[in-house]
Amino acid sequence: MLELQRSVIFGQFVDTGSPVHRLDVRVKLVATALLIVASFLVDGFLGFALLLPLLVVLQIVSRIPFGYVVRGSGIFLFFLAVILVFQVFFYPGEADNVLWRWGFLSVSVEGLRFAAILGLRVLLLYHATTMLMLTTSLVDLTNGLEILFGPLQRLRIPVNELVLVGVISVKFVPIFISEVERLSRAYTARGVPFDEGGPLTRARRLGRLLVPVFVGGFRRADLLTTAMDVRCYRGGRGRTKLRRPQATRTDWLVLLLVAAWVLAAWQLPALLGT
Amino acid sequence: MTEQGDEAPLVELRDFRYTYLEGTPRAVEAARGVSFEIRRGERVGIVGPTQSGKSTVVYALAHLLRLKEGQVFHEGEDVTAPGYDRAALRREVGVVFQRPDFQILEDVVGKDVAFGPTAAGIPAKETRERVEESLEAVGLSYPEFRLRYVYALSGGQKRRVALAGVLAMRAPLLVLDEPMAGLDPRGRREMFDLFDRLGEQRELTMVMCSSSLADASLLCERLIVLQEGRVAMDGSVREVLAEADRLETLGIALPDPVALARELRKVFPDLPADTLTEEELEKALLARLGGSRA
Repeated sequence: MLELQRSVIFGQFVDTGSPVHRLDVRVKLVATALLIVASFLVDGFLGFALLLPLLVVLQIVSRIPFGYVVRGSGIFLFFLAVILVFQVFFYPGEADNVLWRWGFLSVSVEGLRFAAILGLRVLLLYHATTMLMLTTSLVDLTNGLEILFGPLQRLRIPVNELVLVGVISVKFVPIFISEVERLSRAYTARGVPFDEGGPLTRARRLGRLLVPVFVGGFRRADLLTTAMDVRCYRGGRGRTKLRRPQATRTDWLVLLLVAAWVLAAWQLPALLGT
Repeated sequence: MTEQGDEAPLVELRDFRYTYLEGTPRAVEAARGVSFEIRRGERVGIVGPTQSGKSTVVYALAHLLRLKEGQVFHEGEDVTAPGYDRAALRREVGVVFQRPDFQILEDVVGKDVAFGPTAAGIPAKETRERVEESLEAVGLSYPEFRLRYVYALSGGQKRRVALAGVLAMRAPLLVLDEPMAGLDPRGRREMFDLFDRLGEQRELTMVMCSSSLADASLLCERLIVLQEGRVAMDGSVREVLAEADRLETLGIALPDPVALARELRKVFPDLPADTLTEEELEKALLARLGGSRA
């Protein structure tokens, strides 16, 4: 039977109670932002190699098994691989460095390097954001983003609403996935098996679920707005919080460490090269 | 084979264990060694509080999980054996899910009831006959409801449509997952009468999962009580209800007449312990009072 929750972990929150989970949410958000920036700034294999230990430490300390993250990223990794293969074949490399050519397809040294760096960038981006979501609850994520973007309210930007919409849409992904599982079970029980046939047949059967899943999504959104209405949610300013994030010295140290590490990964290769 | 098949129970779970998302940090152990047999023609109630593994057992009966070898048997055959015809199994086991919205797959009533037979490749003429027969069997008039939109139906009507969709497959084993949940007393009574009648007319084997002991004891003759993914009790309705104290420690509410009889026994210790319905209790009480007066 279909167990999609295994293959798509995007948007899930796994509470292992680790020190990463307990970190101040603002620190986690800024650290993630730093890693995202790093994924654009770092431009060489050495830089990414320097960042690797940081991600390994993050993975171990969070107590979320690496295998779970990899298995849960299967679909994403598959698409990434397809895109990278296209990058390699269509990259216009220097004529001297072409390793293989067939019609308009070619493999060049530059193409391989470009695709590898691009792949590393995307993987870093993906890992950082996935770990943020796996280790941060919906409420914390919303609170943290609201605080960080709070100053924009002076420019009359509806920060609370935007953050809430963003966070909810991300957290709807696991709900959609469990909905797909449930529907596939119903279809199977009624004679359209989702556990038989080749990958293509299965994919085609999944297509059948699109309409009911969307209809279900609208119904759920409707319910959610009603639930927020009856609890007098109005968004906007002046909302107080029961739990206010409080950064300890450890939180600041972690942030400093991540910042220093990212800076090192960005600047060290250039310094060593000269 | 047929001789053996006659002897073998219709379904059997042998030390059935199941963990959702096994091997991940979000793993949930739902069944921790459930064993029971169900014979043809039996009406079995599976009762337990929430999270006791009832729905998981339901899914296992129709092979709607990634089952492991040697745990689930249908007519004596391991359903995970290579080459086992799962599609045939699912035609034999009709599952009515907890919420009708979970299993109504088409937008029009007639089309939805025809879904199963159509998927099974049954000719259009016979499918039409089955749709008519099934809708009438659940008390929905075929000409009136055939073209109705599912969205416009009431909760009770949706439940009937879902049941009709399962009946149209003519499965000999009917599995009902919380069939009375969310119905008012009258709706419950009607549903109960409907299941009772269908069971008799079609000689169905029935498995009914419910968190309500009262509902299950009305429809079934045997009860299996689940607790944290294990079988806590298994016996005839009277046998199970006789152990009221044990049921209470398992967190299962007793049916009203049984609870009342239990209280009354404090005053009349010689009142029989196995009164299931109000009528039985009334009779026993009158006999007791009449006896004391005489």
